[in-house]
Amino acid sequence: MHNSSSAQAAKPKAGSSQLSEASLKRKRGMFQKDLQHMMYGFGDDPNPLPETVALVEDIVVEYITDLVHKAQDIASKRGKLLTDDFLFLIRKDMPKLHRCTELLSMNEELKQARKAFEVDEEKITSTD
Amino acid sequence: MKDPFEAAYEEEDSPPASPPPLPEEEAPTMEGEDEEVAPGSHPSAAAPSNVANASTVAIGGKGKDDEEEEEEENMDVELRKFSSTGDPDKMAKMQEILSQFCEEQMSRYESFRRSGFQKSVMRRLLAAITGSQKISVPMTIVVSGIAKMFVGELVETGRIVMRERKESGPIRPCHIREACRRLKLEGKVPRRSVRRLFR
Repeated sequence: MHNSSSAQAAKPKAGSSQLSEASLKRKRGMFQKDLQHMMYGFGDDPNPLPETVALVEDIVVEYITDLVHKAQDIASKRGKLLTDDFLFLIRKDMPKLHRCTELLSMNEELKQARKAFEVDEEKITSTD
Repeated sequence: MKDPFEAAYEEEDSPPASPPPLPEEEAPTMEGEDEEVAPGSHPSAAAPSNVANASTVAIGGKGKDDEEEEEEENMDVELRKFSSTGDPDKMAKMQEILSQFCEEQMSRYESFRRSGFQKSVMRRLLAAITGSQKISVPMTIVVSGIAKMFVGELVETGRIVMRERKESGPIRPCHIREACRRLKLEGKVPRRSVRRLFR
């Protein structure tokens, strides 16, 4: 009797969680391969356990989701969602903040370099 | 003088293969070394290690031609020379450390540098979360970077938990759960501000 009532109580919960999963349309193992390499790089076994990888993927997706929702809350006051909102969120975490500013500046440099490369290419092909 | 990371980088011309399985007896000895390597390279924000990693992110696109990859690699060489984080002292220190790596440490370091989240998958995930279709490239870069560091925190804390419990071998889900719990206590995991009232 207790089991049946708890089972009935569990059913709508399971239904709603299934609904949310279906609406997210998240396949299992989205990042599986990448995560295996990453976890090995950070100190795990060369072949991490599949259940560990799956759990880390779930945790990371949840982390990203919460992060993005918080960033959207911040951005809603201003309008569009920008990278600055993420930088604001991790302002307390020095390593992450430094890393992100580094990545962004590298991206800018690479863009400039690519532009310069294309301009040079055009010059070379036009003189031919 | 040739850039030390270029030297290490150019040795690996083939795309990264999955890490080779190591014999069991090496696992316990790895732990001590890993904790030296991982915390040293992981929190160091400036260092050229991040420069090369960023270039790896750029190269990581799997649908590119070989020509394009070579061009980007050459560009990365030039950029690294000009990058402001090319502190000669730090580079010399890194070169010193890298030269003393054993093969297994080198393979692990290579995995650390080269691994990353696939941009396309990350973009799809972000689009699904935000509900908007347009996700800018810098945004995927930032979120991928943050997520990768978060994975690093999880794995490192998991190893700390294992050391406390005096267990060895691959990390198990119970360690990761405990690690996540500790990170939440430290405030490193964002939580919804609305408290859950009716549990």
